[in-house]
Amino acid sequence: MNEIIQATNIHRKFGKGDLEVHILKGIDMHVHEGEFVAIMGKSGAGKSTLMYQLSVLDTPTEGSVVIDGTDVSMLEEKARTKFRLNTLGYVFQDYALVPDLSARENVMMPLLMQGKHWESSVEAADNALISVGLEGKHNNLPAELSGGEQQRVAIARALACEPKIIFADEPTANLDSISGGAVIDLLGDLNKQGQTIVMVTHEDEYTKYCNRIIYMEDGVIVGRENT
Amino acid sequence: MRALRIGILLGFRQIQRASKWTTLLIVFVMMLTFLNLIAVSGILVGLIEGAERAVRENALGDIIVTPLDDEDRILETMSFVQSIETYPEINTYSVRYSGNAILEANYKERRDLSGERDTAAVVVTGIDPTQEDTMSSLASILRDGEYLRADEEGYILIGAYYLKEYAELFGDVFDSIDVKTGDTVRLSYGDISKEFIVKGVIESKVDEVNFSTYIPEKEFRRIFGRLDRNADQIVMRTNLPSQNLAVANNIREGELGRYAKIQTFEESLPKFLIDIKNTFNVLGSFIGSIGLVVASITIFIIIFINAVSRRRHIGILKGIGIDRRVIEIAYVMQAAFYALAGSFLGALFTYGFLVPYFEENPIQFPFSDGILSAEPETTFWKFVTLFIVTLVAGFIPAWLIVRQNTLNSILGRK
Repeated sequence: MNEIIQATNIHRKFGKGDLEVHILKGIDMHVHEGEFVAIMGKSGAGKSTLMYQLSVLDTPTEGSVVIDGTDVSMLEEKARTKFRLNTLGYVFQDYALVPDLSARENVMMPLLMQGKHWESSVEAADNALISVGLEGKHNNLPAELSGGEQQRVAIARALACEPKIIFADEPTANLDSISGGAVIDLLGDLNKQGQTIVMVTHEDEYTKYCNRIIYMEDGVIVGRENT
Repeated sequence: MRALRIGILLGFRQIQRASKWTTLLIVFVMMLTFLNLIAVSGILVGLIEGAERAVRENALGDIIVTPLDDEDRILETMSFVQSIETYPEINTYSVRYSGNAILEANYKERRDLSGERDTAAVVVTGIDPTQEDTMSSLASILRDGEYLRADEEGYILIGAYYLKEYAELFGDVFDSIDVKTGDTVRLSYGDISKEFIVKGVIESKVDEVNFSTYIPEKEFRRIFGRLDRNADQIVMRTNLPSQNLAVANNIREGELGRYAKIQTFEESLPKFLIDIKNTFNVLGSFIGSIGLVVASITIFIIIFINAVSRRRHIGILKGIGIDRRVIEIAYVMQAAFYALAGSFLGALFTYGFLVPYFEENPIQFPFSDGILSAEPETTFWKFVTLFIVTLVAGFIPAWLIVRQNTLNSILGRK
């Protein structure tokens, strides 16, 4: 399978001089198309920081990230935003929905931004919500949904634009075990349909659908495991 | 266009989901700002406009005919009058004769010839009482007594400033006499004297009226020996004030232009009055602009707090690929909504209540019945100013928050 992410010698430092903190210390990794990769490690290991570099939310201090043939570390801010819109999907730890928009409108946002018409955006958003099991909740505001349902809306939003890769940053951290399990099952189903997923987690039980697990400690990869 | 559409959706939803009371309060503040912009300068300008209106209604009318610069009287007055009667746009007119005379009050009671005479140098205006009343509503501004009748002689109307009773209120600085309605006075011009009974006292916000006495034109011509019937002033009222210039131009361009100087009311306004009006306008706008600054700071703070409290959501929106312009537009749209709603309610209140109210109940100033001047064009430009200032005040905080690093916003880092 094609390598969809190639990260080479990634360093990320914060601060300057005596206050400088070296979080990522020369990470090399790759992700193949259709893979479900988990990044694991203890708190402070640098797993979220690594995901931010891979998902074009941050720029490495050193090294390069190539996604689907594009060296994203070289992109300008505007191009990075556009790249994220058209190529990547995100599922954040705390759902990150716009509280003023209904479930449908939250999912529609990136679709409209891509230039899709209102009607086709509504249709795509409704389909995405149905695919994550939220039929009949299109018009609910985030505050009217449970945590698990909100996270599913977030997954529907990530899915709706048919991204090449979905990045999930501890998507089960704020959920109870049942809801967390349902979210992982949903991500697993998506992966079975060919969706590439990179997920950060620190809970072993949620890695059951992953093809590969990368273990991190103190800013370096300390282990890789194919499952 | 795409960013605009999504930005409007986001902004609209934020307004829709916001606390109703908070939104009402912000709209109320914007309405007060709008009223401040309109009302402060409106009342200041209204002072002068009220005075102008009184002069137009009680003295000068819409078109004023006066002698040519090198003449003492309006030439061929009778022909002139016959001609203007043919103009359908002219609703009414009044021919006025004027001269200076001495008015004496206590000449009957004064036994000692060396005693002080109660006299005043007055301006006497000869009028056709009926015509004058249709023109300047003179009968409606009687402070006391009755109006002149066309079929009677020997009666005089006196402007309030010539009465001691009234003049004392002004520190007795006017040349006045101590008479009241029903008293007899003697009017003297050169060697000619005639007794008149004071039929009424005229009081107006127009000094020119208060500083005048009125007698029927026939008596005027006899006393002042004005046998040629050439008048000193002809004032006219047109059917529509908007016709004034066209009518005046018509009269000027015809033969009548050779007999007299013809001016519209606006043309006859002294420059100092226009300057005062402009100054009051600037002064009002300056005071109003303080309100504008307060409103812009209010909007800035509201949008800033709103954007800061949603900084993480803004970061996430940028994270999932929403263009920063969309988010800026959403906040500008909210500011636009507040400005529009506030201005709309302000305009409704101004034209639905304040303007009619001050028309019915003018503010009583010594020299004017103050109205609220709110010209739609001026109001429109003030609205535009408020709108633009509000948009800028809404944009800056949104821009400050949106330009922050996306990841820092998502993680709540500084």
